[in-house]
Amino acid sequence: MSIFVIVYYAALIGASCLAAFYKQRGVFMLIFSLTLVSFVLGIIGGAGALRLVATAAGVLALAAGTSYAFREFLIQISRPNLAKELRTAPLTAAFGMFVIFTYAIAGIFAPWIAPYGEAEVIGQAFAPPDQNMLLGGDQLGRDMFSRIIFGARNSVGLALMATLLAFVMGAIAGLLAAVKGGWFDQLMGRIADVIMSIPSLIFALLMLSIFGTGLQVIVIVVAVIYSPRVFRLTRAVAGNIVVMDYVEASKLRGEGDWYLVRKEILPNATAPLIAEFGLEFCFVFLLIAGLSFLGLGIQPPTADWGSMVRENATLISFGDITPLIPAGAIALLTVAINFVVDWMLFRTSGLKEQ
Amino acid sequence: MGDITRLILKRLGLGLVTILVVSVLIFFAVELLPGDIAQAVLGQGATEETVAAMREQLGLDRPAFVRYFDWLGGAATGDFGVSLVSGERVSEAISGRFAHTLFLASYAAVIAVPISILLGVFTALYRNTIFDRVANVLTLSTISSPEFFLGYILILFLAVRVTMFPAIASLSSDMTFLELLHRTFLPMLTLVLVVTAHMMRMTRAAIINLLASPYIEMARLKGTPPWKVIVKHALPNAWAPIINVVALNLAYLITGVVLVEVVFVYPGIGQLLVDAVAKRDFPIVQACCLIFAATFILLNLAADVGSILTNPRLRHPK
Repeated sequence: MSIFVIVYYAALIGASCLAAFYKQRGVFMLIFSLTLVSFVLGIIGGAGALRLVATAAGVLALAAGTSYAFREFLIQISRPNLAKELRTAPLTAAFGMFVIFTYAIAGIFAPWIAPYGEAEVIGQAFAPPDQNMLLGGDQLGRDMFSRIIFGARNSVGLALMATLLAFVMGAIAGLLAAVKGGWFDQLMGRIADVIMSIPSLIFALLMLSIFGTGLQVIVIVVAVIYSPRVFRLTRAVAGNIVVMDYVEASKLRGEGDWYLVRKEILPNATAPLIAEFGLEFCFVFLLIAGLSFLGLGIQPPTADWGSMVRENATLISFGDITPLIPAGAIALLTVAINFVVDWMLFRTSGLKEQ
Repeated sequence: MGDITRLILKRLGLGLVTILVVSVLIFFAVELLPGDIAQAVLGQGATEETVAAMREQLGLDRPAFVRYFDWLGGAATGDFGVSLVSGERVSEAISGRFAHTLFLASYAAVIAVPISILLGVFTALYRNTIFDRVANVLTLSTISSPEFFLGYILILFLAVRVTMFPAIASLSSDMTFLELLHRTFLPMLTLVLVVTAHMMRMTRAAIINLLASPYIEMARLKGTPPWKVIVKHALPNAWAPIINVVALNLAYLITGVVLVEVVFVYPGIGQLLVDAVAKRDFPIVQACCLIFAATFILLNLAADVGSILTNPRLRHPK
């Protein structure tokens, strides 16, 4: 029984007693069940397993603290209206915003943050981490840390472009379909049906096998694959707005389709569309990451998270976590966006009254 | 029963039409190549004669729609032509691998479906408790992670740090069934994690939706015991959404299986597709895409038909 184990149990039991004393039922249940689980874990895995639990709890606490502080920071710097909304954000959403903020900084200022260039060979292949290369070297001896930073620019930037294109195409088609109706609506609907009836990854592979793997090709193919989702949502949302009296009135006034879309419908359809943008970005990002992982995305030597996982995958069989870092970077961003979108959907759906 | 048969026949017809349209898309997409297949495969350096010889061999001198019907007729009888790279018959390259992929997908489905439905019902019944919140965060994280991330984490912890399962799921013909299950455990687990998260969230949403309906409240108000509310009132109407959820997620397995096969070097049809795309071996790409798309459409169709069949309102027409 080492000192660590004693401190570990003392802290857990102390915390659960405190929680019980201050009548924090949820917190108490959480901490006390963690204590019980720790008994089992401690017997099976020894002090190592407990250390793992303690580290995980520490990381969680750190993340919670950061998100709390970041939310306060956002509340301080934003205008009163926005600040009121932000106060309702759960910690998960604040965490998501913090992660997105960090990624944006890393992506925008990549050349200044990264110590080396993305294609610069620094040391030996698969060099272990030292003070020069924070995360070690990759399969050619390039600095892993710099490549991760540049990956934030390349991978996220590409996904963002594809999402924007998908959004513009889908939203315009959806709005026009709702306004025009008739054969245009039918045609667009059927095209969307056909595209959605092929699994997205399979469709992307088919198209990339034909058109090759240029950046423009990837952006266009991915945008075409995901625009039907946007189309359907926009069509549904706009369909409810088109039948409103004020739209009818402006139609009678003799306004054109484009005016209706821009001035009457779009301002009333933004809230669901913004949430959809977040979700859509996650799908696009994961698809492009998958394609890069298969070696069909952004081509070397450009740093890209998906292909970095693939290039360093052999390290995993030696118990090295290097390939998990870019994969984790992908996962962290999608989780973060999902957290934020979850909160936004919750806010707009009126579920909070329940 | 006349109404319901007609409804189902209509859906089946629609599914067939969709598969046909998709096959047209898959076939004619290749026609969009600058030049034609022969030029694209042989590249810039090819001489006129070799290109002409390949055109001859592939029958490219015939009009595209004639070749389409040839291809479709062949595909319907399981003949997808000849691989451009190896010269092997595509059907032979595919058949064994397709069985492997089906095995992996059904292995994952058999484990994922019961677990996720149970968890989904539990999170719906105990919603907004700590258990529900933790499940929510965990499933959201699993859904958001790329399949290869989950796969490599599992390899790191269950195959390298603790050598319980093999990291590479290669198969040989003389393996017993138990060995097979052990060998394919990690790819199965990866798929299960992803699909379970999806399925559980959808089940939860469907059940919560159902429990909010007025007749459930009525049953509660008249004093029916809780288990009876679930079994007698909620469950008969829950089958339709649950079947829908299961079929949709099995369809989701199809996309997931491609990445998982590559991570675990599993000899399935997904890996074949990825290799063929890199080599621009169009007959194999077309065949694999058609198989994946057809399975996807059929599962979506099954979801539709299943929810029609289990809908009590349609089963007993007035």
